[in-house]
Amino acid sequence: MSNIAGKSYAMTVITPIPKIWAWVNLLKFWYSKNIRKKKSFGLQTLSLIHYARWIIIRPSQFPRLSSNQPKEDLHYAYMLFFSNFNGSWSQYVDSFHMAIPKGLDRIWKHNFKYPKSVPLQPFHRYILHNQIWTDHYYNAYPLASSNDVKAAIALRAALLEFIKQSENMSPEEFQKAYKAFLFYNQQHIAKMHSAPVINLADQAKVERVRLIESYEKTLRDEHGKPNF
Amino acid sequence: MANLISEPTPLTVLSPIKNGDDGSQTFASLTRKYLQSLDIHEKSPMAKVPNTFLCRFFVLNDVFFEGSPGKVDHLKSKYLVFCCNFHGDLNTYLREFWQNAQQEAQKIWRHCVAFEQVHDAESFIDYIKKCELNTTIYFNGSTGLPLDEQLKALYLKQEFSQFACEKQGLSAEALFEAFQKFVERTRPADLTGPTWKPGQNTL
Repeated sequence: MSNIAGKSYAMTVITPIPKIWAWVNLLKFWYSKNIRKKKSFGLQTLSLIHYARWIIIRPSQFPRLSSNQPKEDLHYAYMLFFSNFNGSWSQYVDSFHMAIPKGLDRIWKHNFKYPKSVPLQPFHRYILHNQIWTDHYYNAYPLASSNDVKAAIALRAALLEFIKQSENMSPEEFQKAYKAFLFYNQQHIAKMHSAPVINLADQAKVERVRLIESYEKTLRDEHGKPNF
Repeated sequence: MANLISEPTPLTVLSPIKNGDDGSQTFASLTRKYLQSLDIHEKSPMAKVPNTFLCRFFVLNDVFFEGSPGKVDHLKSKYLVFCCNFHGDLNTYLREFWQNAQQEAQKIWRHCVAFEQVHDAESFIDYIKKCELNTTIYFNGSTGLPLDEQLKALYLKQEFSQFACEKQGLSAEALFEAFQKFVERTRPADLTGPTWKPGQNTL
């Protein structure tokens, strides 16, 4: 179990919302996205986020694939929140609280017992109480943050253009153009390294698999049958 | 509400797990244990699935009670949740998922209700679509470019940053020559290589 894959943290939160407010929220979010053309609730100010999503699911929408599967009978609808971000849990939750408290409250305010994002401590408790841990988390670029990805895309585009433009330059002209290139792209130039927490998370994962395997061996005989 | 809100595409899947056990452990426990035993980073089965940016699996056991005066809810099934951000359209993504990681997909979903009806890419697509949830709000804080472009760009950023550090103070001729060699070695326009591997966690 790990919420960490390289520089990314996977947060999953599930919270109840009264059914009537689920409908109101669905309408409100639809209006916000399609009529007001506002999609991000201030999230663009938090550059540590790769991707985030909210899903409102009513009891009748839980997938039921067979008549033998019991039908869900719930008092509430539920809001699922999934986020992939860089940094630690508290850095993320605190930056929500500090930077976009109103945007956050607009999304969550009708959820049952949502304490609002200010003050901080009740908000921390609310998220922790409703958070679910990830069993397997995969990140295609564990060494990179969201800002690294955006910088890399910008740098590659600039570099391809620079290569084209500098094709027929003399060495002296090239040197001048190269220095200008570095000056104008310096914000995208930086080496990436793994963070200590990555190694610790990976070690913990290896150790956990070893413990599970060793525990299972003690519970099974030489033919692989349960020994209890 | 469609899931194709913007690139990349968000996919959220809730697959009900069969109630019951194999004689010693519940199917939900077996599913969780298998997920926790998967290799990570470039050895993760998801590294084999083209255009997967970030994804997670977990078992949703139940919902939470928020305290009085709330009402107590309990789920009647446990659910395998798959949440993914990828590039491209859903059918292509799921078809390539099946083609590149069929065995792993069969092991991951094997205890889920009705998964025994999945036997090829098309039935896998149908199955996932039956379990798919619509996204209400989606925020893309990254780029939606195909994964090979992102990985090539990251490789290039790392190499060029090294180059810029090392080649300070060179004469015009030496810098010119070094840059030509850098371009020859790193092939910035070539997405096939050299580049980073999906899930690569060492330099």
